[in-house]
Amino acid sequence: MPRFDEGRPEMTLEEFRLLRDHVYAHCGILIHENMKFVMERRLWPRLEALGIQDFGSYHRYLRYDAQRHAELEAAVESLTTHETYFFREPAQLKAFCEELLPILEKRNAHTRRLRLWSAGCSSGEEAYTLAMLLKDSGRFNDWDVEVIGTDLSRRVLAVARRAEYGPSALRATPPDLLERYFIPVGVNRVRVRDDVKAWVNFGHHNLADVAGSQLVPRTDVVFCRNVMIYFDQAARRRVLGVIRDRLCPGGYLLLGHAENLLSLGADFELVHLKGDLVYRRPELPGGEGR
Amino acid sequence: MSDTVRSPAGQEEARYRALQAVDPRAPGALETFTTGLHDESWRVRHAAAEGLRRVPDAQGVTARLISVLGERGETGARNAAAEALAGMGPVATQPLVHLLEHEDPDQRKLAADILGQLGHPEVEDVLLRALSDGDLNVRVAAAEALGRMGGPAAARALEGLLDTPTPLLRLAALEGLASLKRAPPLERVMALVEDPALQRSALRLLGLYAPGVATERICRALASPVRSVREAALVALGTQAGALGPYERGELDAVARSVLGGIPGVTERVAQALDGEDVQVRAGALVAAGALGEASLAVPVAEVAREDRLLREVLFTLGQLGPDGRRLLLEGMGTLSLPARTVAAEALVLLVDATSVPELCALLEWAEDDLRAVVVRALGRTRSPQAVAPLVELLADPALSGIAARALEQLTVAHPLASLTALEAAVEQRATPAAVAVLGRLGGARVLPLLRRLARDEEASWRAAAVEAAGRVDGEAGLELARGALADESPRVRIAAVRSLGQQGGKEAATFLGLALKDEDRGVRVAAVEAVGAAGAKERSADLESLVRHGDSGLAMLAVRALTKLGTVGAGVLWDALSHPDAEVVKAALAALASAEASADGAALAVSLLGHPRWDVRVAAARVLGGLGRPECLLALEQALSVERDALARAALADAVARLSSGR
Repeated sequence: MPRFDEGRPEMTLEEFRLLRDHVYAHCGILIHENMKFVMERRLWPRLEALGIQDFGSYHRYLRYDAQRHAELEAAVESLTTHETYFFREPAQLKAFCEELLPILEKRNAHTRRLRLWSAGCSSGEEAYTLAMLLKDSGRFNDWDVEVIGTDLSRRVLAVARRAEYGPSALRATPPDLLERYFIPVGVNRVRVRDDVKAWVNFGHHNLADVAGSQLVPRTDVVFCRNVMIYFDQAARRRVLGVIRDRLCPGGYLLLGHAENLLSLGADFELVHLKGDLVYRRPELPGGEGR
Repeated sequence: MSDTVRSPAGQEEARYRALQAVDPRAPGALETFTTGLHDESWRVRHAAAEGLRRVPDAQGVTARLISVLGERGETGARNAAAEALAGMGPVATQPLVHLLEHEDPDQRKLAADILGQLGHPEVEDVLLRALSDGDLNVRVAAAEALGRMGGPAAARALEGLLDTPTPLLRLAALEGLASLKRAPPLERVMALVEDPALQRSALRLLGLYAPGVATERICRALASPVRSVREAALVALGTQAGALGPYERGELDAVARSVLGGIPGVTERVAQALDGEDVQVRAGALVAAGALGEASLAVPVAEVAREDRLLREVLFTLGQLGPDGRRLLLEGMGTLSLPARTVAAEALVLLVDATSVPELCALLEWAEDDLRAVVVRALGRTRSPQAVAPLVELLADPALSGIAARALEQLTVAHPLASLTALEAAVEQRATPAAVAVLGRLGGARVLPLLRRLARDEEASWRAAAVEAAGRVDGEAGLELARGALADESPRVRIAAVRSLGQQGGKEAATFLGLALKDEDRGVRVAAVEAVGAAGAKERSADLESLVRHGDSGLAMLAVRALTKLGTVGAGVLWDALSHPDAEVVKAALAALASAEASADGAALAVSLLGHPRWDVRVAAARVLGGLGRPECLLALEQALSVERDALARAALADAVARLSSGR
């Protein structure tokens, strides 16, 4: 059987740790030691592209080269998967539509304003999904609505803005929604309709950058699904601090199904919906803060 | 009062905030937090447990928490107290050991549970004694605790429990042994695997044995109608495979294939498991899929790549599915998720032949950048002349030009004329300067006139490409073009000239590199430092020595590395470099020590770095000392080893100690 790793440089444990620490310092993403193979494999193309022979030299490149900032972003992009698709985790989205949206409609009736944040939005599928769900609910059509999608990777944001997707991204999209919210643009490809796009804004944001988070407005709901898995406990706390800060009191945080806030302090309260468990930033005792 | 503050959520938040505001050092804090342990809200109880850990009187806190454990009917408070005790650390150990003597079996059970969570090996004996407790729940809790933190004695005791008549204890023993990764004699586990109540745990334990009989029994369990049994079997299969390298699995795969082949519907079951939630189950399903060699599983196998941790196994398994499996992947490429597409492409690289070019080119049309890089490599492997044109075109893509250039080099071996013609056409049509570099590498002397012409081009990128390429083609022409290019107004061209000089070597090149080392542009200076080392220009050593003290760490590090290459590192320079604040400079100096003649000074310098705050510097120092082979350093290494906490540094120190002790 042919080997898939033939002729490629091996990453020593020492090189792995140096690169891992460098990435961690930049964005809080922690790569566990059992992921050395994954890191090695994902960074091989970077070494090939730069004509660098080994990972030690690559580490020095990231430390000292004039292009180091751009390369660090490229490395982080390679290391983080951007796997996502429309209408992912349908049970959670159902609970969001049937249980949270009525609450939000009532709570914000006086301002008629709604803000959602898709934190770690990757190529935009989640942010557009949320906009489609809001439209489909019929509750917010003449409201001031904005879905903010942010990601660390500038490259995926370019894809998100283009809003064109293929079959893999659409594999969980119900046919009627496909019909309503997408326009065919080629063989097996569709584009998100302009009225949905009009509700969505994308921006570059490193979740580990506390100061930079001020650019994200106060939101009613944060979707941060399958993002925490990249962080260690300390970075998770920081990220949760950022999210808490950007959530209105009483606002909701929805995580991926494999994630929870156990052992991360109790800044959020667990809310048992009929169809899902979500977290909520507690109301301020005096009711201030909105 | 507002509605919010009167609401249950508002009141809970107020209590939570009040607890967070309590100063753990204030008088009465212990009682305030203890009251909080009894709150109806888990958030408030959690805050109370956290607060208790910060109260300075740890012994007093422990005693109070243990008293809460005795409050019957206060389940929430008892759980919160247990959580707090598990976080108290060593101070809680002795009181919990005492609690194991309590007359109330519930408290003894809680004590055993918490001791297990504390995980201090010194309580192993106490827990071993608890295995004889009169209460079954306490015995089970003790067995579970031993399974979390036990040593060899615990493993022996758990093994002894495999014969106990109490099923619950046998179960705890099996689970404990599996957690400890301790495999008792195979026949004992094989007997238990037939008991439906113990089957899942016994199967899990079977995963710890070498391939053979255990594999056969594990695979037979995949015929079970019970899903959880099949999943336990898959976890075991994954564990067995995990202990072997991917290319050492012959026996395991052969046994698995022979058993699985006879199970009706096994392919569907494996496909279902590949799509499951549990990572360990999916890992085992990959092993089963690979052993079956079932091509129809190619797509679900590729989709497992969405789980990063299983990437290696996915790649290996795809390799086991043969050409049919890869063909299915290629057909389904458009419907796969991004991670699956990437691994599928990786697998396809190994399959491609001269007929694959159209399919690969179609992929290039729409694929993402990561995937395109793989496709470019695959094009090089096709050995087809049809792949030349797309690869030459890809030289214009900055993200792929390096990979495309290497793929072209592969093709040129088989089709030199077609490659050179396409490259020359690309250069004539000014497609991309990257084509010049490849043309220079492949074309040899015949392209020199073209390179001379391009070296006078109005665009800097073309001049740079020509100057660097000429250096590879012909020494004399390279030197001539490089000399002129050193006066170019563009740093990019000067860098190309410096690189070319580095390849030439010789007296003249060394003279020019001296000028480049003083260039106004940092990029040119960096390239010059590297080029001096590459050219072996010892006459420039003094210039490099002055750079070792440079405030730019990158330049300093490169200067040390270049001096090392030249073999001209002096003691003074080394001392400067070793005391540099940047760890990379220090490590470069240590590498110089390793390659220099072993000297007492050098060894002393390395010894001084065994206490460096950075683990990677300590590792480098240990390696140098191991290599220098000076026995007088042994004591220092042993002392450093005795206090070292970092795993990599410990390994390097232990290796150095072993080398010096054995005189290697």
